Amino acid sequence: MSTDSTGEYDGPVTEEITVTVNGRAVTATVEPRLKLSDFLRDVCGLHGVRVGCEHGVCGACTVQQDDRTVKSCLSYAVQADGAAIETVEGLDDDGSLHPIQEAFHETHALQCGFCTSGFVMATKELLEENPDPTREEIQTGLAGNICRCTGYQNIYDAVERAGEKLTAETGSEE
Amino acid sequence: MSRSQPPETGVDADAESIDAGTESFTGTGLPRVEDHRILTGEAEYVHDITPDRCLHMALVRSMHAHADIVSIDTSDAEAHPECELVITADDIEAEYNPMPTGIPKVETDGGDVRRLEEWSLAGETARFVGEPVAAVVATNRYVAEDAADLVDVEYDPKPAVADGLAAREDEVVVHESVGTNVVDGERIAFGDPDAAFEDADHVVTGEYSWGRISGVPLETAGVVASYDEETDSFDIDCNIQLHTLVDDTIYETLGYDADDVRVSVPADVGGSYGTKIAIHRYCCLAAMASKELERPVKFVEDRIENLQGGDVHCSDREYEVRMAVDDDGTMRGLDVWFVDDFGAFPRYPVNQVLKPLSVLTNSYEIDDVVYEYELALTNKTSQTAYRGFGVDPHIYALEMIVDEAAREIGMDPTEFRRRNLIEPEQMPYTLPSKNVYDSGDYPATLDRIEEIIDDERDGGLLDPAVVEAKREQGKYRGVQPSVIIEPGVSGSDWTDRQRSDRDELEDRSRGEVEELPEHLRAELRPDGTVRAFLATDSSGQGHQTLVSQLLADELEILPSDIDVDYLDSVDAPTEYGSAASRMAVMLSGATVGVARRLIDRAEELAAESWECATDDVTYRDGVVERVDTGETRSLAELAELDAGRDERLTSVSYDYDHPATDRAEFDEAFTKKYPVYPTAAFGANAPIVEVDVETGEVEILTFHTVRDCGTMLNPTIVEGQAHGGIAQGIGAALLEEFGYEDDGQPQAITLFDYLLPSIETIPEIEMEHTVTPSPYTETGAKGVGEGGMIDAPASIATSINAALEPLGLDEPADRIPVAPDHLLRQVRDRE
Ligand code: FES
Ligand code: FES
Repeated sequence: MSTDSTGEYDGPVTEEITVTVNGRAVTATVEPRLKLSDFLRDVCGLHGVRVGCEHGVCGACTVQQDDRTVKSCLSYAVQADGAAIETVEGLDDDGSLHPIQEAFHETHALQCGFCTSGFVMATKELLEENPDPTREEIQTGLAGNICRCTGYQNIYDAVERAGEKLTAETGSEE
Repeated sequence: MSRSQPPETGVDADAESIDAGTESFTGTGLPRVEDHRILTGEAEYVHDITPDRCLHMALVRSMHAHADIVSIDTSDAEAHPECELVITADDIEAEYNPMPTGIPKVETDGGDVRRLEEWSLAGETARFVGEPVAAVVATNRYVAEDAADLVDVEYDPKPAVADGLAAREDEVVVHESVGTNVVDGERIAFGDPDAAFEDADHVVTGEYSWGRISGVPLETAGVVASYDEETDSFDIDCNIQLHTLVDDTIYETLGYDADDVRVSVPADVGGSYGTKIAIHRYCCLAAMASKELERPVKFVEDRIENLQGGDVHCSDREYEVRMAVDDDGTMRGLDVWFVDDFGAFPRYPVNQVLKPLSVLTNSYEIDDVVYEYELALTNKTSQTAYRGFGVDPHIYALEMIVDEAAREIGMDPTEFRRRNLIEPEQMPYTLPSKNVYDSGDYPATLDRIEEIIDDERDGGLLDPAVVEAKREQGKYRGVQPSVIIEPGVSGSDWTDRQRSDRDELEDRSRGEVEELPEHLRAELRPDGTVRAFLATDSSGQGHQTLVSQLLADELEILPSDIDVDYLDSVDAPTEYGSAASRMAVMLSGATVGVARRLIDRAEELAAESWECATDDVTYRDGVVERVDTGETRSLAELAELDAGRDERLTSVSYDYDHPATDRAEFDEAFTKKYPVYPTAAFGANAPIVEVDVETGEVEILTFHTVRDCGTMLNPTIVEGQAHGGIAQGIGAALLEEFGYEDDGQPQAITLFDYLLPSIETIPEIEMEHTVTPSPYTETGAKGVGEGGMIDAPASIATSINAALEPLGLDEPADRIPVAPDHLLRQVRDRE
């Protein structure tokens, strides 16, 4: 809350930011305290960004900011001013499933699905860096995400299968 | 990049290639229809629902475990320009009712009966840290929290009690008007335990504790309530579990009829595991605020609220167990006593102290048993249900005493277990507590897990040379298998035993017993596709997939021609719904029933159109055929014929009766209100553990398990449930606990303190299945939703005992979680 010189409440301090979200520029006036996760969910309407803990442990809110994953509950929207954000909604450009999403589906790597977009985004970064990770590398790559339902074994399988799919695609494009 | 097309109804191409009519979808791992919307971020969880003009609520919560509330000054909050409303206990006590509790009245020693009430907001006294004291509504959650900070509550702190055993002394009484903390208890004897304990060669005693854990779903509780002044009724969207059963906790609190409070649960709920049964407080407060403001009000619990005071912790028990055994290894008698710390209020509808009666002696034959519990209140968050509903600690305590007894008589613990297993010829087997195990071959399961371990001894993880070498580095490996039962498909009649006059139960008749069926609707749509409606909610178990695959088989059409939706609490009958390892059995039974009814109606319509007898037509492959001419009517044509009628024939519903309803085997359990669970899924576990005696840390190297849940309707989902359950069981066994300071301050209020298993803690799970169909259920399926959580903690604990046996410790895994400090202390004490 801010007050003007007369002490009257004139609403919160705000700032205008422009963020490229899934390829689309979004300009909005936000409070500096607005979390990036809430900006994406409430201002941009991207509900695939989930908040499970809002203190950086569960990874449900994971998105990519300038090609690196971030936990969007741990930063503020104003910090993303000028950045490019990709969320799970940005993967299925035409309503179809991205190979990572397909792999999660095929291996039953989700139950309630609340953690899933976070896992998919973390997997994306992992596979971009390392298309054929070992189980240990998968463990390290996904250690910041919690799934309470599936018990991880199927998630390993999903990552491996997604890696194969992506490699096959790149191969066929060459 | 190549992309697969979005499956229109979410069914995969490979599933489509299974020919309708020639092969069955049931029994295959048909990929889930729920996945597409979730994976693309299109699923709508309750957190995502924000109607126009919606306001947001935050709660002011007590920071004291026990304090009188001297005054609440809301004026600064109300002066906040964006604050719309502040509610305190005074506001609601005038207009609404207390929330229903599990034990509304307590009889004192003097014989008078005291009321035990819980209100949605604390009035004169706050009884646990996190108990809501005021509700604040504002334009958004950020501002609501700002305004909540401005509510000035003056407390007069009092001594608190935070330990269940200590609470029994009544030095600090949580509810002064009740006068005691022990608000319920019972001693039930089966057979002749006194004689068994007198005659047996040995009596072995053990003390075990089970720490407070809970489901901690990733999605916290959430609600959006809208009051409609015109109809004087409420629409409540929330992620409550069992919305058709526990909706009374909402409408009774509000003081409205059931029909005036429409509770809807979205198709997607981010996990519940039983815990969200008890989120009605939030629903009520949001509804009260929305009535006051005549605008929708939303509340989403944050993680700290969820962990410290969200009304959703689970069993917190101290056990004293005795077993009577003979030299030859016969288990003669069992005596289980425990106190369960229920927190500040006995939550409705929780009576998880009783469910263990359904698996009283686990897989062992023991005729003479005492089961005794005391239910104590403390200044801690209240308990609710959690996957396993109190069975997990019981099985754990039982397996611990079995270990102790085996070592006491100098017998190999596996051999000791085997000697006492219920044999397949004894099935169906009636327990002393009158529940019946339907089918199973427990010795064969133990044999199989033994073979698996033998393989590990032969060059595997348990190779003697490796085990020896590891031991020299201070790492102790071991395994101790056991066979564990998962009671499935709760009968509901027993669940109010604690609110019944127990003396009267002795001559209760079978006719007084009421059971809850499961309801399913299905209708033919104009394009010939079928739409089904579930009366239950789900939170990731794949109910839509299950119903569509079973319905596809019954109707001989494709799952992609079936959509499955949900009914709200007003449209659905009051059914039991999604709990107690129930849905595979109940939904599959209901699906078969509804499909048969739809087929009958289709035949009736077709016969009518041809003006022939129904005997002359037959349903096959999604069409009705006239036998003599070979003419057919498609489902779309039938829908069109039906559309012209006054009353639609192709809209049907079916109630599948609870499988124990008419079975005489269950009569005694039913009439006496002992837990009835007519399916007994079972399995043997052998987690190979390694304990580092320098750090006390336990690593599970691999988790072998052989499981049987009768007919596997969708093996992929069955395995998924087992994986998830085992992961939660591992968390419970080694990591999770809601610890409290002596003064009632909670120690685990973030996910940094309450440790959930991550990908780094869960080992490879090696799973095998056997199939012993249930003779009691329509499809032979047994309930399977709580397995893993029920069996993993006990198995991990017995394996830790086995691993540390060379150190001569006295069953070191005597508390859950078996945290490093606990083990370390015991190792050091020995030295
Ligand atoms: S919501 Fe961001 S890490 Fe949990
Ligand atoms: S699928 Fe439920 S939390 Fe991961």
